[in-house]
Amino acid sequence: MTGEAGSGDGRRRWLLAIDTATSEVVVAAGSLEGDLLGATLIRAGHRHGEVLLPAIGRLQGEVNLRRSRIEGIVVGTGPGAFTGLRVGIATAKALAHALGRPIVGVSTGEALLEAARGLGGAGDVVLLLPAGPSDRVVVRAGAPPSLLPGGSEPELAESDVVVALDLEGRAPDAAVERAELVRRELAAALVRIGAARLAAGRADDLARLVPEYVTLPRGVRAPSGEVAWSRGPR
Amino acid sequence: MSGPLTLAVESSCDETGIALVEGGRRIHANVVASQTALHAATGGIVPEVAARAHIRWIVPVLDEALADAGAKVADVDAVAVTYGPGLAGSLLVGINFAKTLAWVHDRPLVGVNHLEGHLYAAWLLDPGEAERHEPPFPLVALIVSGGHTFLVEMTDHLTYRLLGETVDDAAGEAFDKVGRLLGLSYPGGPAIQRAAEGATRHDAAFPRAWLGDSYDFSFSGLKTAARRTVEAARAAEGLAPDDPDARLSEAATAELAWGFQDSVVDVLASKTIRAARELGARSIVLGGGVAANAALRARLAGEADALGVPLVVPRPGLCTDNGAMIGAAGARRFAAGDLATLDLDARPSLPLARRTAEAAAARSGR
Ligand SMILES: [Zn+2]
Repeated sequence: MTGEAGSGDGRRRWLLAIDTATSEVVVAAGSLEGDLLGATLIRAGHRHGEVLLPAIGRLQGEVNLRRSRIEGIVVGTGPGAFTGLRVGIATAKALAHALGRPIVGVSTGEALLEAARGLGGAGDVVLLLPAGPSDRVVVRAGAPPSLLPGGSEPELAESDVVVALDLEGRAPDAAVERAELVRRELAAALVRIGAARLAAGRADDLARLVPEYVTLPRGVRAPSGEVAWSRGPR
Repeated sequence: MSGPLTLAVESSCDETGIALVEGGRRIHANVVASQTALHAATGGIVPEVAARAHIRWIVPVLDEALADAGAKVADVDAVAVTYGPGLAGSLLVGINFAKTLAWVHDRPLVGVNHLEGHLYAAWLLDPGEAERHEPPFPLVALIVSGGHTFLVEMTDHLTYRLLGETVDDAAGEAFDKVGRLLGLSYPGGPAIQRAAEGATRHDAAFPRAWLGDSYDFSFSGLKTAARRTVEAARAAEGLAPDDPDARLSEAATAELAWGFQDSVVDVLASKTIRAARELGARSIVLGGGVAANAALRARLAGEADALGVPLVVPRPGLCTDNGAMIGAAGARRFAAGDLATLDLDARPSLPLARRTAEAAAARSGR
């Protein structure tokens, strides 16, 4: 899916946004003001690593914008499947490093909630995402994502509108269908949030940006960031 | 300057390594962020912990490497990256990072087999180190680490014939497990070597798994024997079987460490020397983390000398996982025109080379 192809004049400055937290790779081009200039969505399954960079190359050609005119990289940080997130964030970090441009990590959960705005009517949107083969993650506006262990159900108010992404057969059909509508708005939401963050000077630290992890690795009690450095003799 | 400059990225296991290597040999920078400290608490590598550390440390490692080399990514002629074998989540980080750098800077991308990297560590020269001859072909190489144990013949650059490999545990894994049985620290290799050096009696006899005439290795039987022997030694000292606070005496620990190490070294060295003799090797290469083991180095050096074949052992920092070895192998692939495309993905079980029989069968069209 592509937006207004050929929207660039070659000198136009733009933002590149990517998200790999879901089963679909999202690559989008946006204006510095937060308007969507074009987007590609690809069903990736578990092949995010194969499809992401070629998709970026194709989109860049379609919107006819120059790589050197990218002013910032926006990347979805999850929560989501780790394989996809690692591909997306490693790619985004290399893009930001190579282009010498800022990076903005946008919570995919926050972007999906933004994309779902208007769906809820009077109620709140409750987002469900898969976490491994049996667990799920619940995301609500204004609260950190929380893990929903297999077999348990989220506590819902009467008016809550559930959106269940990548959860076919593991959530009510209506919630799964709703998610397909929300998915199509993810690119625009990423660009909008990312542009606002950049304009406000709130870019992330390139080294420290990591995926949004909802759980610690199995068997590990506390996160620790320390590693030992060694350098070959000069 | 002699030859192209390669930027190389290694992230297949628990070390994040980025190097700049000139002409496939001369190291300009070689930075490794090692996670051993992260994994010591769990007594082994936790894949999810490893992958998380790679994504956290890869940019600082790149910046350090570029600063060390006084270079920019734009100065390099090719970008090389390990794409297998290894932990999928770890490999992904390096691969996607490297190919994006190559794409933005319009540089060719080269996919490197991690095992081939260990072999090419033998070609590396440190900054300022005097020129030295390349290992002459045909050569026989023994690569031993916590993840791999294999014996390979190289008749030319990038031409491998797998002679044998472990049928169960890697040698380094056996060191870790027996180290734990003896109550020594992780990783087990250095701890067992230190303990063994203190042995005053050399009577502890551990079995050797020769596996007939094959060049394959097996360490699971040795591990089981070690467990029984440690239990017997603990009983002899009146210690409860699994009380971690009741430590075996230093003398018994030293003798058992020595006996275990002697068995591993005996099998590794004997098979390597036999292969070198039978194949008429003109050099022997030793690599992988276990190559740092002093007993193994000493034994191989003595026997290679008796055979009249030079033994090449990179310094310890180049035997363990690092980016420079990927740069050395990547430069050869780059020179051979073997380039990767932007859809390069992780291959967690990528093989180095097929065995002779399988290779022959494949050639005859079976
Ligand atoms: Zn290795």
